[in-house]
Amino acid sequence: MKNTYVVLLLLIIAFCKPVKAQVRTFDVGMRFQKSVGLYYENGITGQYNLTRRWVLGAAYVTSRLGTAWGTNAIKQDNVFVSGTYKFRPAHSLQPFLRANLGYFTADYGSPIFDSLPHTSAIVSGDAGLSYAFKFPAKLNLSFGYNAITGNGTSGAGTLYPFFYQLSVTYNIAKL
Amino acid sequence: MKKVIITILTAGLLLSACGKNPKIDDTMLDGGKFPDPSLSHPEKYLVSVAKPTPTPADATKPVIIAVHGYGATTFEWDEFRAWAGNRTDFSISQVLLGGHGVDYDNFKSSTWKIWRQPIMNEYSKLEQEGYTNISLAGSSTGSTLILELIAEGYFNNHVKPKHIFLVDPIIIPSNKTLSLVAVLGPVIGYTTVDNTSGEAMYYFHYRPYETLDQLNDVINTVRKQLQDGITLPAGCTLKVFKADKDDTADPVSAVLIYKGTKASTGANTDAQLVHSNLHVFTRLDARKDTPTAQDVKNQTDAFADIANTITH
Repeated sequence: MKNTYVVLLLLIIAFCKPVKAQVRTFDVGMRFQKSVGLYYENGITGQYNLTRRWVLGAAYVTSRLGTAWGTNAIKQDNVFVSGTYKFRPAHSLQPFLRANLGYFTADYGSPIFDSLPHTSAIVSGDAGLSYAFKFPAKLNLSFGYNAITGNGTSGAGTLYPFFYQLSVTYNIAKL
Repeated sequence: MKKVIITILTAGLLLSACGKNPKIDDTMLDGGKFPDPSLSHPEKYLVSVAKPTPTPADATKPVIIAVHGYGATTFEWDEFRAWAGNRTDFSISQVLLGGHGVDYDNFKSSTWKIWRQPIMNEYSKLEQEGYTNISLAGSSTGSTLILELIAEGYFNNHVKPKHIFLVDPIIIPSNKTLSLVAVLGPVIGYTTVDNTSGEAMYYFHYRPYETLDQLNDVINTVRKQLQDGITLPAGCTLKVFKADKDDTADPVSAVLIYKGTKASTGANTDAQLVHSNLHVFTRLDARKDTPTAQDVKNQTDAFADIANTITH
């Protein structure tokens, strides 16, 4: 199913001509994220293009819409806000750097494990490429690093250091 | 210019990978001077060798196969045997994992399927000899291998195990960079462990990346099996004992096992968090720090729980 999403997105890229990025726009869309060595966590994202270079964003991704869907995987939720700096703003293909701050929580499903850490702050950064299509949609690919992870003696055990993500957003407002 | 940089980087990576031969000395298990004693005296470790023709009464007495972890040896369960002393109401079979307990090269060339083979060998021998009351106990990766055997259906065509005990099982590593071993491994070659002088004879000092890759592979395999659900053989129980602070196997491993396993009746399995910061808290010998009274209590409580469960 996840492979199908990727193929569809690649097809969209192939058939669409890029346009210049819009300014002061609000985009919403879906975010698909995978921790290296652990879960798929998917969800939603909103991005406010403050200037041609700066973007403020927020996202919610959860294993409930990923690996934990219909399985015994741990149900965990991540919510965070982000600030993005784009390079080459006049081009359709824009490298970017992003900083994220947020909150992580995991549901272990039994009081037996109440003493284990199951929440954490999220401090992460990612770098990647953003692509603006002819129609008002964007595709975002990046690789990131979580500065706070579990290490067996402290921190949430299923918060992994490396992740990659793909976001597809659509412009819903010009402000 | 770009080509030059790429060439230099590639050459650097290759050179760093080629030069990774650890400096092994004769004080280490890695050097081959301390082969696991179960290799020369299997009758002291394996019930199938010590008592190959049990009486009908002995055949129904509990036998527990104790399986050590990655990079360890039968030493890891020696204290359980010592604790059991002269008890005759159950027997302990200490299995040496494949590729372990010999030397570095042997370890380096092993896979997790080779590691688990002696577990199946001992189980199958005991069954052939007529033993019917067999349980298993694993520590660390030994636990992971036992779960994998259940998940792949090994026990479907064998006498069903009575009880499974998992001590500090590893499903989620505490060091999360293990997930990058396939990428970083060829560059670093191996990692090292700071063993005490007492541990040096029983635990590998060097961990070749090839075996770390195998470790990563088996824990990911079992994690996915747990996600899909593992049902225990009919009549079998499972209990996890997990140190609540563990710098090797993340305590959340116990959560994944609890969520991912069910008895054949559909009932939940058992899990207990143990207040300890020792990985494999049941092994106290040769530790860097003198065990505390709490450490000793944790160990003896777990041993008593295991013995009590298999004998009742």
